[in-house]
Amino acid sequence: MTTERSTSAETLTIDRTTAALLVVGAAIPPEQLNALLTNLAEAFPAENVVVAVQGQIAVSAPANLRVIAAPHSSAAWMLQAADFVHAYEVGRDQQARAILMLGPGADSLKPEALRELARAALSGSVDLAVPFYTLPAHAGLINSAILYPLTRALFATRARFPLTIDLGLSMRMAERLATVGKRFAAANQVDAIVWPVNEATVAGFTLDEVAVGTRDVPQPSDPDINTILALVTGSLFADVDAKAAFWQRPRRVPAARMQAAEIVTADGTADVPRMVEAFRLANLNLQEIWSLVLPPHSLLALKRISALDAGVFRLPENLWARIIFDFVIAYRLRTINRGHLLGALIPLYLAWVASHLNVTASGTPSEAHIEAVAAAFEADKPYLVARWRWPDRFNS
Amino acid sequence: MYNLIAGLTQASESAAAPSVSIDDASLWHRMSDALHQSFYRVLTLLIEVLPGILAFFVAMITFTLCGMVISSLLRRCLSWVKFDTRLARPGGDGWTPVSSPTEIVARASFWACVVLGLIIGVSAFDVSYATGTALPISLLPYVTHAVGAMFLLIAGILIARFLARSVLISAVNAQLQYARFLSLGVKWLVLVLTAAMVLDHLEVGGKIVELAFGILFGGIVLTLALAVGLGSRDLVSRSLESHVERGGEREHSAHSGASTSEQIRHF
Repeated sequence: MTTERSTSAETLTIDRTTAALLVVGAAIPPEQLNALLTNLAEAFPAENVVVAVQGQIAVSAPANLRVIAAPHSSAAWMLQAADFVHAYEVGRDQQARAILMLGPGADSLKPEALRELARAALSGSVDLAVPFYTLPAHAGLINSAILYPLTRALFATRARFPLTIDLGLSMRMAERLATVGKRFAAANQVDAIVWPVNEATVAGFTLDEVAVGTRDVPQPSDPDINTILALVTGSLFADVDAKAAFWQRPRRVPAARMQAAEIVTADGTADVPRMVEAFRLANLNLQEIWSLVLPPHSLLALKRISALDAGVFRLPENLWARIIFDFVIAYRLRTINRGHLLGALIPLYLAWVASHLNVTASGTPSEAHIEAVAAAFEADKPYLVARWRWPDRFNS
Repeated sequence: MYNLIAGLTQASESAAAPSVSIDDASLWHRMSDALHQSFYRVLTLLIEVLPGILAFFVAMITFTLCGMVISSLLRRCLSWVKFDTRLARPGGDGWTPVSSPTEIVARASFWACVVLGLIIGVSAFDVSYATGTALPISLLPYVTHAVGAMFLLIAGILIARFLARSVLISAVNAQLQYARFLSLGVKWLVLVLTAAMVLDHLEVGGKIVELAFGILFGGIVLTLALAVGLGSRDLVSRSLESHVERGGEREHSAHSGASTSEQIRHF
């Protein structure tokens, strides 16, 4: 039974008593916050849970939760470096054993999902619990095309969603992320968003995935693909560059544990002709720029596939892996301006999306195709390592 | 009438008589004098300017050698104190140069010395030339102006290439069929503007360059104004309407979370 009490988060002072779990929520509207608190109360009926919420929000908190004010964060879409710093500081003040960080839209997570994430972080054997979302077949395509395969190939982790929205952290993991987050915050690098999972891997911390079911994934304020792709891939490429000493050593990728449940949606092939046309236009006009980044055989392969009809358009997995690796190299070498480089990647990404939609429309499960792409990245990793060490050796 | 013409003819013959009286020896003497004076002037100027030229090269060579020594010392010292390792941040950051920090510092110091030598050399040359201004040679001012013009030209080419690529990529991603033409247009506009600035800096062409550019840009603006005002009203209105519609779609997709259609979400 929960008794409700109205209070203001701003007026509450931090109670310095031991908390088993600290839940840090992003700035969300009051109705979403109320829904989240209800879910948390249901998920943790008996545990000592402190919930840190942002802003001056009048909330109706269930009795088994202690709500405190959290430092203000500018994160409206994705967790930022400063959020990790704030979370650790509040967790240290509360003497929490683990921290559950929830991004915008976390009210759509079910109580069971919240409980499982927290349980993993509190277990003591897991330092970083990352969620495994069940998304519609054609959602999170940047993650499926670039983030997941590249992270898996280089950092030998099977985290299906390396771009973190919700996280379960042990205190030592939180401390590590806060230390790195302070550096990002001090350098005002607000675009550093794809790094916590890689940081945990580099630090040798234990990482586990928790199936959390469906979730409303927050969308950026500007949904323009040009902006999103440059932001996300730029952040990952920078992190890959910074951690080169780690990922160049060969590592075995852990065996797959999760099997994604497919949410059947429409095939989405209505957009394929438009994407293929965008790719063809780029193939005609961006040769000068692509030729600075891609080797001749990749350019030739792109020229060949640009002649395919939209209905049978396919971008081979190994070619896609090679393209991304060459862009990573060009990013590192600053072959061309990095903004131009990431802009020149957009038509190629659209070509991959068109190919993916065609593959899934032909009956291949979406996850099976994404796994095939990730396997191609793993198989071609020696090419990236070789070119990283000897960039002048353009072809292998 | 006949008397008048005869009088005029006699007068002209009497006026031409002294020039005919100059003998060959006098002509050669005057020409020789002119040549000697010219040769003397040029030689004097060269003698007066030569120290400046020598000072320029000595300054350049000396400071380049100094730069090499300083660069080498810095490289060794920084390697000895493990500068790269100390500067490396385990978490990484957005600024990831190709060369190591030690190499960057060493190169920067070398090029700083070279630039310093260049400045001192040009100053020495300038002072030397100022003492010889009594003997004007019109080409010499361009030596100093040419350096500035060269920097202008390099900067213009770099800016033109950067802007051309930016426009090309943006136009391709906006799926404009005339992306290449747009990019080329921007590139040549900047290059022509750079050429005009370089010519102006070199004081070549004078007001002709300014006038030509004034007419060209004025013409472009007038053409655009007429095109928009008269010929392309429908086109502009359609373009504005589609822009507004795209904005509306963008807002809608921001709320729905779909960037292209209801089935596809990039993020």
